[in-house]
Amino acid sequence: MLDFFARSLNASTIFTIAALGELIEQRSGILNVGIEGVMLFGATLGFIVAKTTGSYLLGFLVAIAIGGLIGLLHAFFSITLGGNQVVNGMGIWILGFGLTAYIGYPYTEPLGMDRIPEIGGLSPFFFLGIALVIITWWLFSKTTLGLKIRSVGENPSVAEVSGINVTATRYVSVVTSGMLMGLAGAIYALDYNPVWSINFLLGWGFIALALVFFSLWNPFILFGGSVLFGTLWQLSLNPQLVLPDIMSRYIWRTVPFVITIGVLVLMSTKWFSSRWGAAKPEALGLPYEKE
Amino acid sequence: MPMIEIKRGDTVLEARGITKRYPGVVANDHIDFEIRAGEIHAILGENGAGKTTLMRILFGLTQPDEGEILIFGEKVNFRSPLDAIHLGIGMVHQNRKLIPAHSVLENIILGHPSAGRIMNLKRTGDEITELCNKYGFKIDLKAKVWQLSEGEKQVVEILKALYRGAKILILDEPTSALAPPEVEKLLASIKIMTGSDLALVPFITHKLPIVLSVSDRVTVLRHGKVTARLETKSATENSLAKEMVGREVIFRLERVDVERGEPTLQVEGLSALDDKGVLALKSVSFSVHEGEIFGIAGVSGNGQQTLAEVLAGLRTLTEGKVTLGGLDISHSSSLERWQKGIGYIPSERVDVGSIGDYSLTDNVMMNYYFDDEFIKWGILDSNKIRKLTEGLISEYDIAVPGPETTAKSLSGGNLQKLILARVLSRKPRLIIANLPTQGLDVGATEFVQNKLLEAKKLGAGILLISEDLDEVLSLSDRVAPIYEGEFMGVVSTKQARREDIGAMMAGLKNKVAPV
Amino acid sequence: MKLGNYQVKLEKKLRVGGWEAAGISILAILIALLLVSVIFLEAKVNPLDGFTSIFTYAFADQFGVPLTINRSIFILLCTCAFIVPIKAGLWNIGMAGQLYGGALAAFGVAYAFGASPSGSQNLTLAPGLIIPLMMIGAALGGALVGAIPGFLKGRFNTNEIVVTMMLNSVAFWLVAFMIKDGGPFMGAGGEGEGFILPPSLDAPQILGGPYTILLALLLAGFLYFMFARTKLGYQIKTYGQSPSAAKYAGISPYNIPVLVFVIGGLLAGLAGYHLFAANPGVYKITQNYGDFGDLSFYGVICGLISLENPLAAIPIALLFGGLTSGARFVQGELQMGFGVDYAMLGILMITLVAFQFFYRNKIVWKKLEKEK
Repeated sequence: MLDFFARSLNASTIFTIAALGELIEQRSGILNVGIEGVMLFGATLGFIVAKTTGSYLLGFLVAIAIGGLIGLLHAFFSITLGGNQVVNGMGIWILGFGLTAYIGYPYTEPLGMDRIPEIGGLSPFFFLGIALVIITWWLFSKTTLGLKIRSVGENPSVAEVSGINVTATRYVSVVTSGMLMGLAGAIYALDYNPVWSINFLLGWGFIALALVFFSLWNPFILFGGSVLFGTLWQLSLNPQLVLPDIMSRYIWRTVPFVITIGVLVLMSTKWFSSRWGAAKPEALGLPYEKE
Repeated sequence: MPMIEIKRGDTVLEARGITKRYPGVVANDHIDFEIRAGEIHAILGENGAGKTTLMRILFGLTQPDEGEILIFGEKVNFRSPLDAIHLGIGMVHQNRKLIPAHSVLENIILGHPSAGRIMNLKRTGDEITELCNKYGFKIDLKAKVWQLSEGEKQVVEILKALYRGAKILILDEPTSALAPPEVEKLLASIKIMTGSDLALVPFITHKLPIVLSVSDRVTVLRHGKVTARLETKSATENSLAKEMVGREVIFRLERVDVERGEPTLQVEGLSALDDKGVLALKSVSFSVHEGEIFGIAGVSGNGQQTLAEVLAGLRTLTEGKVTLGGLDISHSSSLERWQKGIGYIPSERVDVGSIGDYSLTDNVMMNYYFDDEFIKWGILDSNKIRKLTEGLISEYDIAVPGPETTAKSLSGGNLQKLILARVLSRKPRLIIANLPTQGLDVGATEFVQNKLLEAKKLGAGILLISEDLDEVLSLSDRVAPIYEGEFMGVVSTKQARREDIGAMMAGLKNKVAPV
Repeated sequence: MKLGNYQVKLEKKLRVGGWEAAGISILAILIALLLVSVIFLEAKVNPLDGFTSIFTYAFADQFGVPLTINRSIFILLCTCAFIVPIKAGLWNIGMAGQLYGGALAAFGVAYAFGASPSGSQNLTLAPGLIIPLMMIGAALGGALVGAIPGFLKGRFNTNEIVVTMMLNSVAFWLVAFMIKDGGPFMGAGGEGEGFILPPSLDAPQILGGPYTILLALLLAGFLYFMFARTKLGYQIKTYGQSPSAAKYAGISPYNIPVLVFVIGGLLAGLAGYHLFAANPGVYKITQNYGDFGDLSFYGVICGLISLENPLAAIPIALLFGGLTSGARFVQGELQMGFGVDYAMLGILMITLVAFQFFYRNKIVWKKLEKEK
């Protein structure tokens, strides 16, 4: 039973880190629906590098770097070229899926290295995740950089007139988010389930996307949500634990998405918006042009 | 910013020979003026007089082609709004440049150079509270801006400019979006602000009474030139209006007397909410007869827009009854109202009344696509509609090459003619004209007004909503001043006096029974 | 920006014409092929051999051509499923979920009338009746999945992009539930794929291909006509231009989103039927059904390239279909690593996405005056 919870929390770590990346990006106004693609790049390249060099550190560093690079690509398409962010994100996902399927195939096998040592029965990255949650919260509520990012995501023209460089702020957010997503992918491939196979992320990037909307862009709700989603995933691997006759493993996997749809509808109701305003960054997904 | 001792009366900003040309028009033509510390210096002018361009130059959004600006005696060159802010010029925009989701405090300190890495909410909060106390503003720094009223939002913008060290505040149409009680508050704050050494420069289109009551000096612009510089003491509403427009403002159209027929529209106890969920219409009752123009006079924001939208079927009512020719249409959809004979000319010409990327033909289709005459088995007869459009183009003298031209290339006047043509060609029995001449030049305005009179002669009932009191008085048979969602009275324009109507618009109830 | 003696600037385009769009896309595809050459070179294959192989298989081989057409029709239906909502200004990226819904519904109908995974045939209704019911079922299944984001958008103004993406994942796992691990639709082999339709329920063939080919082409033509000439098409387009102007003109802002997503879902549902229930030699939900859900995203880029014109989408869908089948073939033929077709399609996709930039902007060259 304890093992079940440990695995749930380990899974949630990956959701947390990838979703935090997307949260930062979305608060600056950029939407990336291709999180799965960025994570696949980080996971696959991290896996290959670690396997061939025998170094976990190198694997993680490369994953973070490639994540940042892909983030830069998305930033270029969405900010400088001003293209449709949904289409760009999908392009990144299909590119990621395609390239990693081809590059990774020869490595379809276990990592074969000593497992990364646990702390208190949990993956060490779980604690990294918690630290990142707190850092993100602190960034947005206490620092001027956080205020700048938020402003750029709410109303870029007001931010620009107040003296903020919208383009630079957005680039920084998107590249940072890419790095976090690459890291999350690498954690999956090097720590959580160190076996490469085609499409081995099983749509976790989309769960991370759902998580950002579920979290109403609040890092603490995000953390709670990722623990929930991680538990749901573990239930899907052990369907015999709860309502085995009704909930098959695959039905469990639909639950995070169904819950998120519920939250989305809730956000749209007058009841919600009259109390909390619009939770979503106003300028999310809209291209910005300097006047 | 130079640390000079500023005394009241010192010249803080001087503009010499400011000239700006755009293709086909000289927006600013050798404009000179100077602003003194501690004064309220109003800049007055109609739409198109060059106010917006001048404002943009003063705030660094645009560069003048010729001329110079001196601040505290030093020549300056703004390349961006940041330069202007550094030199002590602050701007309070008409469309608020605030972030609704953030708190008041966060909006004020956004981008402030001394903000530091970590937001010191306590220190900045105290500093801003001091500012508030100095100028008599009362505002909750923690409140989110989306929760504030229009007047409070304006205060936040003022505070933002002051916190950045502005010594000269440019105000863009400061009273246009405010309800009367908030206007009072603003004027009181303005008086306090200039008791110090700040200079305030409001740019205003109308609201002449406010200009007279508040400002110390007035500069009037017309067609890009300065036509008058006056001490407010020596100005009157008429003299200002004359300088703004260049001729006697009040021109009377030939009053058309038509036998008033049966009531076409009857409204009983109508109430409705506006977009913010506030009760904008409070139990309004009136009727419009065939062959009659019923005018609604009032400053914008008193419920007219809500009334127009409810009657057109674009907004649901919370209470009351609306009948058209005896038929209850209180809950009819907007499509049903078109089909039953209502024609709505919306105030938002570009966003609601037309579609920029559509051709003129497709725009005309907006009011005809549901007409059986133009559909067979679900297929539209576009040839027929195109012929209709060609006819309308020539009848209404719309200056375009042909019906395939896209609407966005039309000038305001031509676009309004198109909308008018489209609506009036259906021969509706009730026409709702919402601000039909707003933003139009003199020629287009007269055209629109004459078309409405024509429709009246043919027996239509017309509900006219206008901010231009003279227009309302010359066109309408009866007029109802509206104030905070209620009719202050219903009077016949033949017998009414202008001062009485003005008073009712400002909230005084009519003692005489409605006509 | 200066380049030699020229000043280079970017200018916004007001609109892009059909031929211009075609030209830009051809350029994009050429650049993509250039990038794909890198993969060929890295695998020590002559790129020219590679491309020849792809195109001859796709468009000239007796096995390749039917496969190409099969994939092209699938992409065409997905494109139409994307086009209808986009005309109303709404993004349907839930084609994957809608096609899964359609496939499940089609097989569900067959199942309900006696087709069973074990292969025994006790059809309770004449096959001639079941087949159209399967098709209608698929259309309704897809429409139902599509109705959800449409309804939520119309009623609550919920963001349709996120809802459709969520539903894609939900539907994906529902299919897994049905066809794997002992689910009701699992095939007899226990391979984690759906059951095979009994031969009597095979889709009728017309001119050597399943009737869905003709159906798709007719639908594309009908949609083109609908948007060009009908009242409904006008209402949808007007809403897409400006919901507030549409409301003013009497067009319901609640009904249009639901309607376009129902139609879009219906079309995607038919795509699912075509791919799984009408695919000669297959006639089942395959183990790699997820790959086809991913392929449905090509409907989006196809719709954008064709400037939302269903007829212009036909040749583009044909090209994509050919590339999909050719790339898979060349992997085996030239003994390249597994997944090379995925990689090629990925590169193609990102290049086309990048070139969308040129639909909105053009590069302007101005010769600089010599300085005096």
